[in-house]
Amino acid sequence: MSSINQIPVIEAKKGNPLARVFDELVRFCRSRSLFILHYCTGCGAIELPPAMTSRFDMERLGIQPMVSPRQADILLITGYVSIKTLKRVILTYEQMGSPKYVIGICSCTVNGGMYWQSYATAKKLDEYMPVDLYIAGCMPRPEAVIAGLQQLMDSIHAGKANSWEDYYRNYDYYLGNQQKLFGDNWQTPTDVIAEAKHYNLLSKGTLGVHTRLLEQHQQPLEALEMRLGHNLKEPTE
Amino acid sequence: MTLTLLDELLLFSGATLLVALFIGRGLAAGWMVTILYGGQLLTLLKMAALGYGGGIIASSLSFTVMGQNLSWRFDALSWFFALITLGSALLSSWFACGAWERSYAKQGGNIWLFHLAMALNVLSMLILLASGDLLSLFIGWELVSWAGFLLMALAGGVATQAAMRYITYAMAGGMAIFGGLALVYSSSGSLQLDAVLIAVESMSTTKLWLLVILFGGGFGVKMGLLPFHLWQAPAYAETPGPGSAFLGAISSRMGLFAILLVLVKLFGIVNIDSLKIPFTLIDARDLLAWIAVFTIIFPTFTAMKQNDARHLLAWHGIGQGGYMLLGVVVADAMGGAGGLLHVFNHATYQAALFMAVTAVIHRTGTADLNKLGGLVVRMPLSFMVLLIGIIGLAGLPPMNGFVSKWLVYRSLLNEGMPLLFLAAVIGTLGTILSVYKLIHNIFLGQLRVEHEQVKEAPWSMMAPMLILAAIIFITGLFPGIPLAWVASVQEVVGLPATDYTLGGVESVSGSLDMIWVIGVLFAGFGIGAVIFYSAGRSKRVHQLDNYAGGHFLSADVRYQYSDNFYAGLMHLVGGWYRGSFLWLEKSVISLIDFLSLVMQGLYRRANAEFYLLSTALFVMAWVVI
Ligand code: SF4
Repeated sequence: MSSINQIPVIEAKKGNPLARVFDELVRFCRSRSLFILHYCTGCGAIELPPAMTSRFDMERLGIQPMVSPRQADILLITGYVSIKTLKRVILTYEQMGSPKYVIGICSCTVNGGMYWQSYATAKKLDEYMPVDLYIAGCMPRPEAVIAGLQQLMDSIHAGKANSWEDYYRNYDYYLGNQQKLFGDNWQTPTDVIAEAKHYNLLSKGTLGVHTRLLEQHQQPLEALEMRLGHNLKEPTE
Repeated sequence: MTLTLLDELLLFSGATLLVALFIGRGLAAGWMVTILYGGQLLTLLKMAALGYGGGIIASSLSFTVMGQNLSWRFDALSWFFALITLGSALLSSWFACGAWERSYAKQGGNIWLFHLAMALNVLSMLILLASGDLLSLFIGWELVSWAGFLLMALAGGVATQAAMRYITYAMAGGMAIFGGLALVYSSSGSLQLDAVLIAVESMSTTKLWLLVILFGGGFGVKMGLLPFHLWQAPAYAETPGPGSAFLGAISSRMGLFAILLVLVKLFGIVNIDSLKIPFTLIDARDLLAWIAVFTIIFPTFTAMKQNDARHLLAWHGIGQGGYMLLGVVVADAMGGAGGLLHVFNHATYQAALFMAVTAVIHRTGTADLNKLGGLVVRMPLSFMVLLIGIIGLAGLPPMNGFVSKWLVYRSLLNEGMPLLFLAAVIGTLGTILSVYKLIHNIFLGQLRVEHEQVKEAPWSMMAPMLILAAIIFITGLFPGIPLAWVASVQEVVGLPATDYTLGGVESVSGSLDMIWVIGVLFAGFGIGAVIFYSAGRSKRVHQLDNYAGGHFLSADVRYQYSDNFYAGLMHLVGGWYRGSFLWLEKSVISLIDFLSLVMQGLYRRANAEFYLLSTALFVMAWVVI
């Protein structure tokens, strides 16, 4: 959040009008089909069932739960995150495909809330991953959750909800905080730097001392390759 | 004496048997036998005119025993079944050559005996298919039964037990058929087909009923019709891999051949339809149809419970036989075509499936569905073959199984048999569920650590599998090719023939054009592919980079495995699996046990003088009277 990239700069609109219409369409569609990953932390999760079911029914806004991070758009952090949980949250966040949005529900995600003195919880969620939106409260009611989601939809539509890019741009910062908490040998299966290159988001803050530390011990998980006609070269058994 | 084409074929087949017998222990014997099967197939193809309405080809071999003329000849029906027999023999023998043979021999198997048993099976099947009268049919029938026993018993242990069970059933069936023959002979005075055809017209209802039961039961044993199906699955499944592909493809269809020849051609569906069951609304034909339908449902759902891939497939082999009989019993143009076409289609995909499973066993050493998984990345071609095979088995487009099942469904609806239709659909549902289990547990999911280094099956096994896969797809795209043969079979057995086109059937009550169906299907795939590939490069990730509630996965922990597959469904239908047929079988066994005990009691207790006296008395009485 301390990055200079976060300071809004008003750019003149350019490019051909057709592309702008297309972009507008894409953003509209994106904001109207949001899938929330089924991943809940802390006590705030209890507000989600009413938000999802018939009383408040957020599906009428096009927001639905999704079982796997690869297909999900929103990661809801619904309460305090213990350090153990935070590892899982980061793993899951990195598994999600971009664009992805993080919403911190509950005061605990903002500043530690009533667990501020606990040795076992992470205090500020946005030190470990970029957060699009906080919904404060202990715990916020479903109306508040839905209002927050609507705000997210609006900012996606407006093209302003791109804090996910910040994770790639300032990976070194986030990784540093993670390493501080989990120790130097912390790693996830996702190769974030390669992804940053893929999205063309590699910038000054992506690489640094922390990523160098990671590279020293990282064991990449290569995809299982299909071995077609593999037996051609093999000697007979 | 000039040799007809049929003589050539039978001699060729006999020569194959001799080659397997005498030089079968030599080098590359398997390849030699395979090439000879290819030669037989070529000879058969020279008779291809039969498949397009050509006249009967007789064998010059014929002789007279006790006033009975024994003859052999080929017509469209024989040709159609012989084509499937030789095709599956060629491909499964090819599959057996090379790598499979070596590993089989290494495990202590006798490869000579295997090839010998295969050659014997093929020869005896050809003899059966060529039978020109009921006596030669019976001879061929017994030959096929015993040849099948040889192949099934090869593996020893469990396989021998299964084979013993089979031969017990087969003998009982043979007895029933023999009884039927005696009955036919007593009323027609001859076992020639023409004479029987005339005699049937003047037979009493009771006699016809008895004959339908005797022949239907006897031939039904081979087909695995309910309630005579228990032997089939273990016997086929425990046969060495390529053998089970061959048996699964064609062996039990010999029963259908005989049913077509005797019940449909000689007795006629009309006659069977006239046999009413008193006090009910149904007749013998309905009875057969319902037997067929239950043969579809029960074994299919039993297949779903199997944890051994080979057993699962073998149980499906029984179930799919039900569709064939059902189609034939409906006996309109479409139904008959569907039933007969299913014989061909089933042979293609069943052989492919057994081969794919055997390839997996060859590489991993197990067919236990709870001990496999994730093999798609290691054996992608086998996966493709299995996928194509199960689409065929489940009867979904674009594979050939869809066409035959569609024809059967359509005929059931056209003929106003909604309940049978519903039952057939329930069977298909079970098929889809259980083949999903098959492909999921073998190829999808997490790759086991011990299978990290598994390789794709060797080409000697892959080639026949790919050929079969191609046949499954091509005959799905152009079902007109086999339908031409089917139409001439229908004519020969006296069923109305279908109006076929290259892409399917043409009929006022509903046409099917697979070229269109598949065209639309692939257009859909094409649109999907365009969207997928235009969306940019996709990223492949490791299986362990996966979501498990946020858990960090490692190779030593299995995060995905299957046991008690379909637990939820089993909770619903589990109570229906009661083993009633096993109970029935056991009660028959204990009844026979009891009778034999009684006989033994008589035999052991009484003394020899008593026997002598009673025999003498009996003989004297006989002479005097
Ligand atoms: S803010 Fe309150 S309700 Fe939410 S996690 Fe913290 S303690 Fe629980």
